[in-house]
Amino acid sequence: MDSTIELLEKVLTDLKKVGGVEASALASRDGLLIKAIMPSGQHAETFAAMSATMLGAAETATTELGKRIPERVIVESDHGKLIATGAGPKALLVLLTTPEAGLGLILLEMDKAAQNVKELL
Amino acid sequence: MMVETGIPKLDEFLDGGIPKGKSLIYFNHLGVEGDVFGMQTLYHNLAKGGTCVYVTSSSNPETMKDHLREFGWNIKQFDDKLLIIDGFSSLIGGLSTENYVVSNPESIDSMTEMIDRAMKDVPKGSIIMVGSLSSIMDLCGEENTLNAVKMWNRMAMIREHVLIYNFTAWPYEESTLKSMKNDIFNCVISIGGIEERVIFGQYFGVLKADWSKVEMRSMLFRVLRPGGIRIYIPKILVTGPFNAGKSSFIHSLSTRAVSVDRLGTTIALDHGHIDYKGFSADIFGTPGQERFDPIIKMISGEAMGIFLVVDSTLPKDFIRAKQMLEITKGYGLPHIIVANKQDLPGALSADEIRNHFNIPKDVPIVPTVATSKKGIYEAFDILVEKITGGD
Repeated sequence: MDSTIELLEKVLTDLKKVGGVEASALASRDGLLIKAIMPSGQHAETFAAMSATMLGAAETATTELGKRIPERVIVESDHGKLIATGAGPKALLVLLTTPEAGLGLILLEMDKAAQNVKELL
Repeated sequence: MMVETGIPKLDEFLDGGIPKGKSLIYFNHLGVEGDVFGMQTLYHNLAKGGTCVYVTSSSNPETMKDHLREFGWNIKQFDDKLLIIDGFSSLIGGLSTENYVVSNPESIDSMTEMIDRAMKDVPKGSIIMVGSLSSIMDLCGEENTLNAVKMWNRMAMIREHVLIYNFTAWPYEESTLKSMKNDIFNCVISIGGIEERVIFGQYFGVLKADWSKVEMRSMLFRVLRPGGIRIYIPKILVTGPFNAGKSSFIHSLSTRAVSVDRLGTTIALDHGHIDYKGFSADIFGTPGQERFDPIIKMISGEAMGIFLVVDSTLPKDFIRAKQMLEITKGYGLPHIIVANKQDLPGALSADEIRNHFNIPKDVPIVPTVATSKKGIYEAFDILVEKITGGD
């Protein structure tokens, strides 16, 4: 039987296979890295901490305005996109994509993955 | 004289190391990077000028040396101090140029013969390391192997060597695993995986050490390449009032660090990573201003310890500092007070701060000047000792 961490890793690996996705990571809501599939040499811990803060700040900002919790945060730059979404109460899921990646399929797969993570944790 | 394991914290747990004549087993559960422990102990002792005998049974001796190189440990320079008992080459019908060659690796007696010979050749207090006890067990059978191990341990006791085994707990007989954990060795170090809330990591702990009064205690670790084993602390929090010097503190302490600064102050998070004296820690710094309190609450979860940074020249801010310790739920965690900006005129001393604000005796106050790195490593040492010391 696979351990939880192996199952989580599989969720991340599957996401990474979606066209245009460069890296995928799972972090706790309070910013600890759980697992990342990303090119070596990048500091996954910092990436996880910052993404958690970003999503948390976005959630605080919109709920303060009475707009409920946002589905996701998307950051676009010339060099790529970063998408962060909640995956249950304990974790969040973050993807990095190429600049030209289409978001349709990616968001669909990401929501599915987030649901799986929610069940696993 | 003790033989050190060379693993951070472990020697401390064992009251200094392994006494001569004793046996130790690194008992690895499945799925952890436990083989590094033996490698690190081997390298540590070779580097200190010790003599080691290494028993290979699952791979070519050269493979073992390559593996050590991954961690940046070059043992070529110690070739005359490292003797090999080759229990592998004969298996694949290869020739071996090693000191001791086991003619029939599927017979435990053949292995015993070589271990006996090597023990007689090396000086007292040498390390005899069995590279993989599990593979010997696979070849020779569980019962035969355990009986032989008992004999090897006695031989090592009489000749005053230290015997170290690496073992992976594949699904062997329950009774085999049980007697290995409880009866056969003087010391058992358990290495396993941990899943605790959102922390997925690896730990090691002392299950047994019959020469010291050990308490069951375990440590998270991670493996660096190069570098080897580091005690891992996933989150240390740095908090404190506005402009106390939290970001400067993190940046001077960290091997690398990033901050989200706007208009000269941290608005979201500082994140630093430090590798120091066998520890690997990630450091999270909160903003100081009250308007960021929701973020402070959010990122303070799962912290293992807290630095509360205060500006020693601004006693009026100490009330806010205490409040921040409450927000971060720091009272229940190991925490220390970093009395920063000691270089400025009017800075209160550690004692003045303690008296003035009724800080309990068990909360250390460390004077620092973060901008010139004064006192910051002392602060780190003290907090880490509180986190890992277990009292």
